[in-house]
Amino acid sequence: MKRAPWLVAAGTVAGFLGVLGLHKTAAPAALASGGIQPASQSSQPEHVSRRGQTPAGGTQATPSAAGATVTSVGALERYGYGELAARVSIGGGRITAITVPVLRTAEQYSQQLAAQVLPTLRSEVLAAQSARINAVSGATYTSQAYALSVQAALDKAHFR
Amino acid sequence: MSASPVAFGAPKSPAGPKRQPARSPATRRPHPALARLALLAAGAGLGATLAVTITSQPASQLSARGGPLTYAGSLAGMIGTYLALIMVLLVSRIPFVERVAGQDGLLRLHRAIAPWPISLLAAHALFLTLGYAEAARTGTWHEAGVLLANYPDVLIATIGLALMCLIGIISVRAVRRRLRRETWWLIHLWMYLALALSFAHVIVLGPAFVGHPLTQVVWSVAWAATAGLVLCYRFGLPVVRSLRHRLTVTEVRQEGPGVVSVICSGRRLDRLAVSGGQFFCWRFLARGLWWQAHPYSLSALPQPPYLRLTVKAVGDHSSALASIRPGTKIAIEGPYGAFTRYAQRRPRALLVAAGIGVTALRALLEDLPRGSAPVVLLRASQPADLVLSAEVRELVKHRRGTIHELVGSREKAAITEVSLPRLVPDLAQRDVYVCGPEGFVASIVETARNLDFPDEAIHHEAFAL
Repeated sequence: MKRAPWLVAAGTVAGFLGVLGLHKTAAPAALASGGIQPASQSSQPEHVSRRGQTPAGGTQATPSAAGATVTSVGALERYGYGELAARVSIGGGRITAITVPVLRTAEQYSQQLAAQVLPTLRSEVLAAQSARINAVSGATYTSQAYALSVQAALDKAHFR
Repeated sequence: MSASPVAFGAPKSPAGPKRQPARSPATRRPHPALARLALLAAGAGLGATLAVTITSQPASQLSARGGPLTYAGSLAGMIGTYLALIMVLLVSRIPFVERVAGQDGLLRLHRAIAPWPISLLAAHALFLTLGYAEAARTGTWHEAGVLLANYPDVLIATIGLALMCLIGIISVRAVRRRLRRETWWLIHLWMYLALALSFAHVIVLGPAFVGHPLTQVVWSVAWAATAGLVLCYRFGLPVVRSLRHRLTVTEVRQEGPGVVSVICSGRRLDRLAVSGGQFFCWRFLARGLWWQAHPYSLSALPQPPYLRLTVKAVGDHSSALASIRPGTKIAIEGPYGAFTRYAQRRPRALLVAAGIGVTALRALLEDLPRGSAPVVLLRASQPADLVLSAEVRELVKHRRGTIHELVGSREKAAITEVSLPRLVPDLAQRDVYVCGPEGFVASIVETARNLDFPDEAIHHEAFAL
């Protein structure tokens, strides 16, 4: 058929851009609930705008009383290989501790992986003092679920 | 549509059913617009597959341990699987696609694409194993073991991949030549199973799918639809047609040295929409023949209740047809082929055939309207090889055309860039239809191209020997 390769190429471009467009409209919603930052750790004062949420760089006094420790348990996040919930302790306006009281995985490998990866994620959250952390390669879904659950816990405690 | 004055004659046995005057059965025209739409959709699917894969993996992955390999493995897997889907669709004999491209054209494309999905899927398995091993800081073999044992559905998918690789290996020309055609074909059919086995692990493990329900639904629907199309058009429709028409062999007639016509009769042939130049895959249900289906063109339009195919004895199957028993039942697949009058773009036609290629040409000629003034070139090395020439002459006369019978050796009677314009002065007004052995068709196509025929005006059907 004449121009067959052009038709396929045109369709490919259209399909690619179409899905990209669909993804963009869905993505801000995902970012708003606090997910993995694909960008590198170099801090950007002007973050991607989120509905109603404050930029990362700004400091804000936490509503909770300074000095008291607040614990908040995040939502149970299901991911491809299991589910987990994070518990966050906030004291003196800082995240002081994170534990994972609930961790159920689909199979043994994910369990081992989680065991390997959760300490790394924990220290990343403590360092960043937010749920906006890098994923650990090879444990993308675990990392994402962890960040989402931590963010949910932070939101519940009205942590900046 | 003109009625054909050339009947292929009543069968010798007087007990045969009365032949009705030739009626033009309802034909289904090809719609190139639909085919173009299909090409756009195929491209869109590829673009969408690329996009869902790329957007589901963060760019930061590329700078992490094992990240690039995992990324590449994921991409290779998605594109490889999408191409496999296209491969299946190409040979599922969807009517509106087949009418435009022709079964032989679709098979050529299928064979051309074939190395890509298999290679990409093998690369996918390899890259992911290497990438995961690097990320988990463990040995590759250990990682492979972990993948097979612990990840859901990966073991089954690996069996599917092994099947695919096997099919790829036996399809390499050097290996295929050593296998019987039926053996190769039976192994090849396992591809359906291989694809079914690998389906689950994609949805459960692929980053584009985990947590993306819309993508899961779309992917599943695409595969379910493909399976439905295969069941319907590849397997179902031929069975329905065979049962509806119940073809049986009525008579075998000698047409020339090593050439016989098989006349078949069936029910409701007025409902069988055939265009001149099309072929069927014929499965004669006789001992030693029932497990093979071979493509042969009809050598005349159907004259209900009769169909005719004319066959030259070149292999086991075609030779066996010379002695096939009347009353043998036939299962058919088809009609297939885009070598029809509907492919014509220019006002008039030039029909060129060599040897047994005259069969498709004779049927196509019958389909051309009265007064369409076709030019017919029949090429043969000996006069006895010019089968059906009397019918062709009659048909050409009724269409006010011209016929040239070019008999002799290649040195004396070949069709070349020099001889063709002399025989056919108004070449620029004609589409060329060429039919015959592969070598002949290839040389005529090249000659036509050298004489500035655009590709859309060249139509060919090569009979593989």
